Amino acid sequence: MAEEAAAEATAPVELPPGLIEKALAKGWTEALVRRGLQAGMMVQQIHQALDSGMTAEQAEQSLPQEGQKLEFKLDMGWTKGTSEWGIRAKPTRKGLTLSAINIGTYGDIPDVWENQTEMPRGASPIAGVQSMGYSVSQKADLWSDSAADLYEEAIQRRWRPSLDVQWNTLQPLPDDVERAMCQICTELSEYALLTLDTLGKWLKELSYGYHEVKMFLATQIYDASHQFEVFRKRALANGGGLGMQSPGIFGRHIADARDWTEVTVLLHLMQGSFLQTLYSYGEFFAHNEAEKAIFRYCLQDVTRHIAYGVDHIRFFLHKRPERQRELSQYLSLGELAAAADWEKDVPLREALAIVLAGGKDKINEGFMRVNAFRSRQIEEYLRHVRAARLGDRRDQLPPALAAYVAQPATV
Amino acid sequence: MAAVNFPSVQWFEEIRNLVNGDPEFKKLGTCDATMGIKVSDTGKMLLLTFEAFECTGVREATQADLDASDFYLEMEMAAWKDMLTNIKKNGAADLNHTLNTIDMARPTQLAQAKDEYRRDLFYRFNQTFQDFFNASAKIETAF
Repeated sequence: MAEEAAAEATAPVELPPGLIEKALAKGWTEALVRRGLQAGMMVQQIHQALDSGMTAEQAEQSLPQEGQKLEFKLDMGWTKGTSEWGIRAKPTRKGLTLSAINIGTYGDIPDVWENQTEMPRGASPIAGVQSMGYSVSQKADLWSDSAADLYEEAIQRRWRPSLDVQWNTLQPLPDDVERAMCQICTELSEYALLTLDTLGKWLKELSYGYHEVKMFLATQIYDASHQFEVFRKRALANGGGLGMQSPGIFGRHIADARDWTEVTVLLHLMQGSFLQTLYSYGEFFAHNEAEKAIFRYCLQDVTRHIAYGVDHIRFFLHKRPERQRELSQYLSLGELAAAADWEKDVPLREALAIVLAGGKDKINEGFMRVNAFRSRQIEEYLRHVRAARLGDRRDQLPPALAAYVAQPATV
Repeated sequence: MAAVNFPSVQWFEEIRNLVNGDPEFKKLGTCDATMGIKVSDTGKMLLLTFEAFECTGVREATQADLDASDFYLEMEMAAWKDMLTNIKKNGAADLNHTLNTIDMARPTQLAQAKDEYRRDLFYRFNQTFQDFFNASAKIETAF
């Protein structure tokens, strides 16, 4: 073999036209070019070396000596890090899902993920990689058994506000009703921005050992963008425009949360429940097919977000039952903030009353319906709190919310 | 086309075949749920299973089956007839006859569930269930 290589390295080579001229112009010798080609370099590689400014002296040092061939050696040490070589995940009826590839040790979700880098779970770590500073690295603090499936569901059930809403069904509405719809849309788009920012801030804190959760939350950010987009579009598409911003008390309370499970309690459970009712009412009182579709799609999305929240809190309490009272405290403080927000948000309450009654001339009927709406919001919130195994809070609600629970929950 | 009686396994099989063969239904995305159907004044009950992109099964059911389902839709026969007649007339439910609207308008909710959390699947896959019933516009229904 060595003799064959030596013979190849001294065999005559053809010097392509143009190459020698370029080499000589750059200070190389013909012998140097010939040596490179005999060593096994391709013509294109020598062109690249010349174009990159490699000097004759540098070429002299880097090219193999006359009579020698370029030799590349494989290390292949990196292949030793591949765990469970030969694994074959199989597609399911839903395609090759995240859950379907969680097989063998890849399906082992550790209780603690010590690695502080972006190394994917199942890969082999190397020493010296800089920390990314993930602060949530224990499974109990973010996990939900349904996260992988909720991610797939979000991807499969995605919709496009620009095309999947029949915008051409929008018809002019009485001025007071259009203004009210625009006010509601303004606040809904604002809530979406809050979700976007809150999740964006927290994603970098959540460890990659639990990529299923991070991927699901990425879809929630995408959903929040949709929500912002679609309500802004509705406000601007029918002769109206944006209304007043919301008081933002509850929003600031969510943004200020210092613990991921606290965020989940406030954002997924509380805010999610309130939005679920609002979307359900929105679909009910829609004036056209476009609004029907908007609210129905948003209703689907927010219910998926609630599912993550309920499942995470169940898991959290299973692992950390001693922190149940702490979560109840988060709920109590959140309820106060939500009640203050509602109390101060005259534009939203009046806008809802006008939409629910069909016009400001029936405002008494409208406010009756708003009371029923608020009652249903709180009942839905209590339902999800019970589902999350945080108990029945009916008797612990602050008076400003408890007053609505006594209302008849019919529209 | 011969009319098919509602409610019956045959009626739901017709709808099932329609949606399972419709690429637009698959585009709505995956749906995993068991949905019961109950006609309150006749006591007729059925159970539908949705898996991945399809409705995979329809069968007669008991109250115990409905209690074990994710949720079930319960109305008296006249209300079912009103909804399905509206769908047939318009090609799809109009603004006053969507599942969510009926659920909101009724004194007792359309979607019932033993497990109050699993009832959320009615909301989570609402468009799928709506399109399922909207497909009934393509068949002749006898009541």
